[in-house]
Amino acid sequence: MRRRVASALAGALLCAACNNSPYPDGDALLAVRYRSQASVPKTLDPAVSYDAGTHQILVNLYEPPLEYHYLRRPYQLIPGIALALPVPERRAGGRVAYALRLRPDLRFQDDACFEAFGTALPGAQTRRLLASDLAFAITRHADPEVGSPVSEIFAKIEGARAFTRQLVERREQSSGFRALRIDEQYREAGGISGLRVQDPDRLELMLSETDLQFLYWFAMPFTAPVPWEAIAWYDGRDGRDFFKDHPVGAGPYRVARTDKQGFLALERNPNWYGARHPEWRAPAATYPSEGEPGDAEAGLLDPAYAGKPLPFLERIEYRLDKEAIPRFNKFLQGYYDASGISKENFDRVIQGNDLSPDMRAMGVSLEKSVDLGIFYLGFNMRDAVLGGPAGARGRALRRALSLAIDASEFARLFMNGRGVPAQSPLPPGLFGYDADYRNPYREPDLERARAELARAGYPGGVDPATAEPLRITLDVPDTSTAARLQFSFFLQAWRKLGIDAVLDATHYNRFQDKVRDGAYQVFYWGWHADFPDPENFLFLLHGPNSAIDSGGINYANFEDARYDALYLEMKNLPNGAARERVIREMVGIVERERPWIELFHSEDYALFHGWLRNLKPAGLIFPSDKYAAIDPVLRHELRRAWNRPVRWPAYALGALGFAVVLPGVVTFFRERQ
Amino acid sequence: MLAYLVRRLLYGFVTVLGVLGLLFVLFFLYAEPIDIARRALGDKAPQAALEQWVHSHGYDRPRLEQLVDHYRSMLTFDFGRSDADGTLLSDRLWRGAGPSLTVTVPTFVLGVCLGVGLALFVAYFRETYIDRAGVVICVLAMSVSIVLYIIGAQYLLGKLLRWFPISGFDPRPELVLRFMALPWTIGVLAGIGGDVRFYRTVFLEESSKDYVRTARAKGCGDGRIMLRHVLRNALIPILTHVVVAIPLLFTGALLTESFFGIPGLGSLTVDAINQNDFSSLRVIVYVGSVLFVLGQLLTDVAYTLADPRVRLE
Repeated sequence: MRRRVASALAGALLCAACNNSPYPDGDALLAVRYRSQASVPKTLDPAVSYDAGTHQILVNLYEPPLEYHYLRRPYQLIPGIALALPVPERRAGGRVAYALRLRPDLRFQDDACFEAFGTALPGAQTRRLLASDLAFAITRHADPEVGSPVSEIFAKIEGARAFTRQLVERREQSSGFRALRIDEQYREAGGISGLRVQDPDRLELMLSETDLQFLYWFAMPFTAPVPWEAIAWYDGRDGRDFFKDHPVGAGPYRVARTDKQGFLALERNPNWYGARHPEWRAPAATYPSEGEPGDAEAGLLDPAYAGKPLPFLERIEYRLDKEAIPRFNKFLQGYYDASGISKENFDRVIQGNDLSPDMRAMGVSLEKSVDLGIFYLGFNMRDAVLGGPAGARGRALRRALSLAIDASEFARLFMNGRGVPAQSPLPPGLFGYDADYRNPYREPDLERARAELARAGYPGGVDPATAEPLRITLDVPDTSTAARLQFSFFLQAWRKLGIDAVLDATHYNRFQDKVRDGAYQVFYWGWHADFPDPENFLFLLHGPNSAIDSGGINYANFEDARYDALYLEMKNLPNGAARERVIREMVGIVERERPWIELFHSEDYALFHGWLRNLKPAGLIFPSDKYAAIDPVLRHELRRAWNRPVRWPAYALGALGFAVVLPGVVTFFRERQ
Repeated sequence: MLAYLVRRLLYGFVTVLGVLGLLFVLFFLYAEPIDIARRALGDKAPQAALEQWVHSHGYDRPRLEQLVDHYRSMLTFDFGRSDADGTLLSDRLWRGAGPSLTVTVPTFVLGVCLGVGLALFVAYFRETYIDRAGVVICVLAMSVSIVLYIIGAQYLLGKLLRWFPISGFDPRPELVLRFMALPWTIGVLAGIGGDVRFYRTVFLEESSKDYVRTARAKGCGDGRIMLRHVLRNALIPILTHVVVAIPLLFTGALLTESFFGIPGLGSLTVDAINQNDFSSLRVIVYVGSVLFVLGQLLTDVAYTLADPRVRLE
């Protein structure tokens, strides 16, 4: 018996050693896209999640009213489940109304929650998706118990704050109110007055202030309709899931299987409007037939897919893979379809500015995209030496410090060159970005820097008041050794001017305290856009957003009356020549006043295997999986060719062990006899 | 024996209280509640949302009140929810225990069997080049960090030789062995050096005792002496070594789980530390310390079972 168990175990181990595939053998020829995730998503609730990795999953499960055109750049909104893009209507008192009309005959995915409340259609496990579901999803942002990270954005809706107050009061006053179903609580609290459901498919949303950029929030999972039944049913009681672990949406995919610990398999949702009504040829349910120049050459307008109904993938599977090295090695074995490039592997993968011959031989392609973001060094404009109080001297000093920094060299040394040097706050791909614009203070020039320093009253970097080198402190919210090494690059650059530059590395909280108190001089920071509009960058320098005064995001505490006026004008202008003119003037003010030293817009390098089709990298989170396609036959063949096990070392090791031990054993027994 | 057990349990209880108190003090020396909130809600969350989170999770109460609540919830096993994502921690423990035990139990059993077997083998061939080579190999094996074992094995056995998946986990019966073969191999290899050295020392010490000489004089064969007499009498130190480790198998293998993407309790610990998730961390530390105390107690009981001469007073 013991021998049988041992041989079974040995056989099983041997069998395991025959195959390094992390997937079931039966899935080899299915159009499944395999993706990795570095951590388990904290929540799949579209009102709460605010990280890129989870949004990448949510865009497959939930369907917001609008989307972005998959191929066109600059980014362009298109209707999703809305019939058309809503046109903002200006109303009295600076208010703005958005009228959203949803497609008729939309349905949520099948789920037990609809049957539980008796709202399912006859003979089905789903119900119609209505404008009231959209209103419900938006109302959740005003419910403090939901914990929406963007509640302040949705507080712009007329009556949102009053609703929040009413809801909180009613919950505190009466346990009976709290025991009501969630939709009933919202109704009893009066709802948000600025959300008016006009008929089953139409919702009017009234903002209490002019905000033309609000439209972009309709293209994010935050505004995807959710059924109230799902929130009420999935409350964690009686063995049921929590809603955050049990998505119920109306997207192209639905959850097929999850262990809530990193493994998540999505399958096609037959109730998705694109699947039920391919004849509509809805823009977000059909692969585009036109894109931007170069897309056809890149194979993104392949007739096999262009104009065809989406989605193409059968399934999408996410697996937990925390460490970069095994993740990348599995990509090399063909077990992940796409990959980023970690620092450890960069030199192996990229040679010159292109793929290494090894990678090309594998049929891997490299796609680069610039993030809609910026990294910068900011000056505290309230600082007596560097900021506004120092007047022209402070301005000259900021210019000198700006001229000393070589952002390209920084990106080359610390980011494998994956950064486009920034000339202004606006990254490429945005309206208002001028590729030909060159900021005269962003080309490193030590001679000019020294001249500006002398103009600032610090010749050779020496402060005449003390006869000592001028001391400048760079504050960073990172205390790691790697970060210290990285940031010392800036200190070295300024020391070349004779300045005594020092680093103050603190934890994030301490840094936040310093920001609130204005106790800093220069800081390193980055910003990634929520939506592709210049407003989402230029507001970072808008005076009323000052961190000291209002706790806002303007950490530089920059204030300029002209800039602030232009910001308000730009914010409410449609994209066009007039807006471009205003943006140019704003960029000019930033160039002149130098509240920031713009460093770089980081670049994403993505590697795709040859069997993965239609993927176009984007600086934003897109529902890209529904456009992607896979050639499973090619993948299977290549995987087999790349993963034949090498067995001879096992035999050699066994033979070696035997050869080493055997003489000893023989000699030992001979001697004993 | 009962009095002894009660006394040890009381000592253990005080130890666990001390561990919980120390964890509370150390954690809040390092982390601010607002930082826990930021990790939970994300860097872009507005200050008001962060403050609301801190308030709703009770982190703005006086520290003493929080400490009392901390003790109350732990001692009543009311673990509550994770700070990071609101998951019920009792659920999380149950879900994580399966993958962790899948990694640790076979590694442990294989490690003990192989360790004892190899130690008997080298002890049997003591003073020969097999024994000396065994010592050198064991010392080398002990000197290598587990991280190097993991990365090296993933590279060699997963990437170059393509025998096993490089990382991952799938509990389905047809796949679990495929994923576990490499972590088990690494776990056994990483521990085998120290184990063999320890067991060999124990066996050699037993081999030099009078009863072995007597058995040999009576014509007992070497194999029989090693397996019947030496092994049985060496059980006490082996039990000390082995039994104390058994309860800790539940808490998983931190680095192995992290590198292999295995969603067990070791992985949960690493995540809790990275995310400043105090509520998860305290549960893991609490469960770990309780299991450790129980392990010590179990070892004492095991002595009496292995050697009737031992009396717990």
